[in-house]
Amino acid sequence: MKISKGTVLAVLALAALCLAAASDGLVVKIQITQLRTTPQFFGQASAALKAGDRLTQIAESGAWVQVRTASGLTGWVHKSAIEVPRFALTASAGGAKTAATASEAALAGKGFGPQVEDNYKAKHAEADFAAVDRMLLLKIPPAELQAFLAKGKLGQGGGR
Amino acid sequence: MNARTRIVSGILAAALLAAFVVIPASGQLLDKLKQVDKAIDKGKKVLKAVETVRGAFGDFSEEEEFYIGRSVAALILGRYKALNDSALNRYVNQVGNAVALFSDRPEIYAGWHFQVLDSEEVNALAAPGGMIFVTKGLIRRCRDEESLALVLAHEVGHVASRHGLQSIKKANLTKAFTSIGLGAVRKYGPAELAQVTSAFEGVLGDIVETLIERGYDRKFEYEADASAVLTGCRTGYDPTGITRFLATMVGDGSSAAGKGWFKTHPIPEKRIAEVNSDIAGLKPVPAIEAVRTKRFASAAASLY
Repeated sequence: MKISKGTVLAVLALAALCLAAASDGLVVKIQITQLRTTPQFFGQASAALKAGDRLTQIAESGAWVQVRTASGLTGWVHKSAIEVPRFALTASAGGAKTAATASEAALAGKGFGPQVEDNYKAKHAEADFAAVDRMLLLKIPPAELQAFLAKGKLGQGGGR
Repeated sequence: MNARTRIVSGILAAALLAAFVVIPASGQLLDKLKQVDKAIDKGKKVLKAVETVRGAFGDFSEEEEFYIGRSVAALILGRYKALNDSALNRYVNQVGNAVALFSDRPEIYAGWHFQVLDSEEVNALAAPGGMIFVTKGLIRRCRDEESLALVLAHEVGHVASRHGLQSIKKANLTKAFTSIGLGAVRKYGPAELAQVTSAFEGVLGDIVETLIERGYDRKFEYEADASAVLTGCRTGYDPTGITRFLATMVGDGSSAAGKGWFKTHPIPEKRIAEVNSDIAGLKPVPAIEAVRTKRFASAAASLY
């Protein structure tokens, strides 16, 4: 009895998919965030996390998730900064299946990203990207935001 | 993981289990292998379905949403001039980030950013990815920080619920996901890049037309108002700030009428009625604070 190479590859791809689906793996989906020692925004930050970093879920509390990083650190991240890796499967010419998360594909330069923006920008003088870059330069540091809330008697109702 | 992926994974897991769990170490191996082949055929069909899994607005990654938003923002800033007033822009960013922090999406790809537009129109717009614009004409109609905060929270609500991406027409979504492809290659070649860029133009066209000309589906506007009331309360703002602002739009006979929010949003009377009923369901709500009204007046003084 012969089992074709394609069959083996298909089985492996299916198995990988099922394993991935069963894990508690999470991935950071935003550019930069912090691993915090307590489940709150102005809590102490213990490490910086970046897009694509893999995390393992330990516990959950409201909108916060307690996680372990690949290097073994534990702490809290807000739900809006993470996601369960999404699958993006594709078939190569040889019929083999490869699996990559949408985030990985994006990190590899796929999708709507800098390369597409550059090409779009070259043809659309009516779009003012320089003004967007200036706008994105202004960032309110956490300490400034915390002081702004306190002075305005805000953020005292518990919030999230 | 979204529900569709979960279902597909579940089907695959079931197919594998059905194929393997029952394989005995006997002469029936051949039959069982046939079953495996059958299960795999089924699996292949499912895999095909997974290949097209990116079909809905929610399937854009956080990074793609940001890049769509950057270009939408660039087109907005091509039509409206950014107001070059660093003190006012800083204040608007403080208020905006305060409400964003208490929204359902406090963390977003490249952070929340707010920009005042040098326009007399009464308008506020949000590009996907958290780039939000508000005209000086709108700020002039606010009498306190609560009104500005609630207007910004309305825009944050649109972004948090990805309303901009939901305005992309089905045909352009399909074109986008088909041209993007799913393989993890490094860079697009020239022909591929031309196709992806053309799909990108379609996506931007749908969003910008919705934001500037047509307006969102009305139900999204009421949803964003309800979300503003809730987010405002969580932050500590008196939610009637939004009704005080909307009241300035009622029966407006000025040159601002017919443009911006007058054109793209439901009539203010109807919004006020809906917001009042949202607020009634949340009582008790925070009260206005003099310290905030004072700092608002000082920040907006440059507009008078």
